[in-house]
Amino acid sequence: MSARTCWSCGGAVAASDALCPACGKVQPAPAAGTQPDRFATLGFEPSFDEPAGLDETFRALSRKLHPDRFARATPQERRYSLEQTTRLNEAYKTLKDPVRRAEHLLSLRGVQGDPKMSPEFLEQTMEDREKLLEAKMSGEPLDALAAGVREKRDRTLLDVRRLVENGGDLSRAAELLARMRYYARYLDEVEGRSVEL
Amino acid sequence: MALFQISEPGESHAKEACTTGAVGIDLGTTNSLIAIVLGDGKPHALAIDEGSTLLPSAVHYGSGGGPGSVVVGGAARRLAAEFPRDTVVSVKRFMGRSSADPETRRLSPYRFAEGESGVVRFVVDGGRVVNPVEVSAEILRALRTRAEERLGIKVHQAVITVPAYFDDAQRQATKEAGRLAGLEVLRLLNEPTAAALAYGLDKRSEGKFAVYDLGGGTFDISILQLQAGVFEVKAVGGDSALGGDDFDRALAEILLGNQPRTPHKIREAIDAAKQAKEDLTRVEVTEAMGKRVTQSQLESAIRPLIEKTGGPSRRALRDAGVPEGKGLDGVILVGGSTRVPAVRRYVRELFGMEPLADIDPDEVVALGAAVQADLLTAESPQHDVLLLDVTPLSLGLETMGGLVEKLILRNTTIPVRATQEFTTFADGQSGMDIHVLQGERELVPDNRSLAKFTLSGIPPLPAGLARVAVTFQVDADGILSVTAREQLTGVSQTITVKPSHGLTDEEIERMLLASIEHAEQDVQARLLIDNRVEAQRILKATEKQLESNGDLLAPEERRQIEAQMAAVQKAALGTDHNAIHSEVEKLDQVSADFAKRVMDRGIERALKGHSVGEFDQGELSPHAQKAYSALRDAEETTD
Repeated sequence: MSARTCWSCGGAVAASDALCPACGKVQPAPAAGTQPDRFATLGFEPSFDEPAGLDETFRALSRKLHPDRFARATPQERRYSLEQTTRLNEAYKTLKDPVRRAEHLLSLRGVQGDPKMSPEFLEQTMEDREKLLEAKMSGEPLDALAAGVREKRDRTLLDVRRLVENGGDLSRAAELLARMRYYARYLDEVEGRSVEL
Repeated sequence: MALFQISEPGESHAKEACTTGAVGIDLGTTNSLIAIVLGDGKPHALAIDEGSTLLPSAVHYGSGGGPGSVVVGGAARRLAAEFPRDTVVSVKRFMGRSSADPETRRLSPYRFAEGESGVVRFVVDGGRVVNPVEVSAEILRALRTRAEERLGIKVHQAVITVPAYFDDAQRQATKEAGRLAGLEVLRLLNEPTAAALAYGLDKRSEGKFAVYDLGGGTFDISILQLQAGVFEVKAVGGDSALGGDDFDRALAEILLGNQPRTPHKIREAIDAAKQAKEDLTRVEVTEAMGKRVTQSQLESAIRPLIEKTGGPSRRALRDAGVPEGKGLDGVILVGGSTRVPAVRRYVRELFGMEPLADIDPDEVVALGAAVQADLLTAESPQHDVLLLDVTPLSLGLETMGGLVEKLILRNTTIPVRATQEFTTFADGQSGMDIHVLQGERELVPDNRSLAKFTLSGIPPLPAGLARVAVTFQVDADGILSVTAREQLTGVSQTITVKPSHGLTDEEIERMLLASIEHAEQDVQARLLIDNRVEAQRILKATEKQLESNGDLLAPEERRQIEAQMAAVQKAALGTDHNAIHSEVEKLDQVSADFAKRVMDRGIERALKGHSVGEFDQGELSPHAQKAYSALRDAEETTD
């Protein structure tokens, strides 16, 4: 990690510092292309579970960094504030969602790329969707189907957690995590209907 | 109290009373207001038109006021009857709208000029040509100068409110109008957010609030959370083709009964209905067109309309993570139509609590905007709170097959950025079309096209090797800029999305509603595309197997498979995804034996030292894959 200095007072600034520790001036966001650690952006250690105090920290940092706080500042500082707030919002969105958070945790541990889905899982997904389509056509209640998929989703997330926390096979964890998208899409379709009626 | 102090235009007095001269402006469809935070720390709406805080949003050019003159407000509205073409009312409906839009002409009695850029342009007295941004600027200028007279100080900075559903073009147009009127636009603020700001600070309470905003022609719902000095918008929604005007029409129906419906009679009935509706906010029974009208009669007439606000409200509650309103701390009423008792009753049922209405629903938006203006400019703001707003609609890009890839979902906190990598489709492809879209639907034509541009200068590479990163950045005003960058060479292009015409509320709402109504249709469209892709994949895989293992087939078997391949090909040209699916299934069946023989040969080879795993499973149909798995299992157990 290359050392940065504050553009205003010349003091030392760490990559994760949004504000200069010495003079308090807002700093430019780290260059694009560097692998961002979303946990560090909010001052947390990487973890599978939602860091304690995430919401409070997000609000406190927003109050310091948001463009509204720099409406009277120089164009340079306004630009930095926009960059930093954007980065903060990205980080918060990632850490707030269990799946995004787990995906990010895996990428920080060096697991990259889209995992291959097993044919068995894809087959199962197709069957689930066919059942959903049939239930929709016949007007059956969808609650039981949704509950089944929700249970599968929750179980899968627990499996991911076990693998991540006990030093298990991380590429297996990534594959399980990729299944969450299928579950989410399925549940969206179910809920999309029941809420509008 | 402070309002009292400034009602006498005493200059020194006002200067003390207000710190920065930054105002909040509610630029409304029917009326506009201007407000400011004074020395007492409270926002005050200024009386600026004929003793009222409401300035009718009407601009009259020439004729009545003399050649070249411009009249704004109540006086202009009265001139509208005599000079309908020279008096622009409800200009907000035209903001960001294209002149090619049939709605434009349907809306009004105006004469339009043909514009080169596609922007609506009105021809008024003396052949003068003005566009909606200029008309809005006249309203803003009137607000500014009258506020300056009232306060005795210069007003040069403003927060202007816009409907939460205003798109990029409409926001840009509003900002432009502010600049034309000599105002620095500090921020565009969503109207419901402004209302919540006025209430949240007034109540000094923390928690989650719903803002239920029912005006003359639009309905807006927002869910916000106030915590630790941060006001966070969690979700927005609405129906912009629903409002008090619809109530008037419903009641007018009853008043007319089976009387003959001349235009004059209908007009009379609607006016009588409006009056009766107004009366019934105070009394139980009134009279209109010689008929006795009760509150319960009115309620049964408009109840189905009021219930239409339920869908968007429930969706916003769900998006905000407070399904059914469980965990909601308050409901705020905004807009004149929320004065109707039946509306309040419905809101009470819908959210399960008594709504808050102690700030004048006409003024609350301007008051909130004034608070935000103070927050942005004051050395030490009266209220130390920060607003975090969201994107009202999803933003995405066109991808292969006419589908939309969403980069930023609706209700995402702004400012926000999202990057997605795309690759080239053809060998040596040197340019890439970037098509930016706004909306919730899955197919390109069903969404609003914001901009199109081409990234050129991509180095000639085999298909799939070039990497183009497209980045969307939405700033704190909700305005989007797009950057496309080729990763190898660093060739890049940036645009701020500034379309010359925009969507109206109605169009956005129609798109949103359509996205729900057409969810099923979208699924069908996607199924069709998916099935076509699947059909092509299977055809290619089968062809390949025929080429390399065709010797395993008798001529009759081969003919059968080829005939079925032709059937798949034909079905794939049609639009029935079920037909494609069933032909693909049939191809699976007629080639099942062939697939098994190919497998057997593979196993044979594997036993001679090759692995079955060398087979590319991806090229096999699901049925063949199943057969393959079964074979492999059998192989393992026999080991």
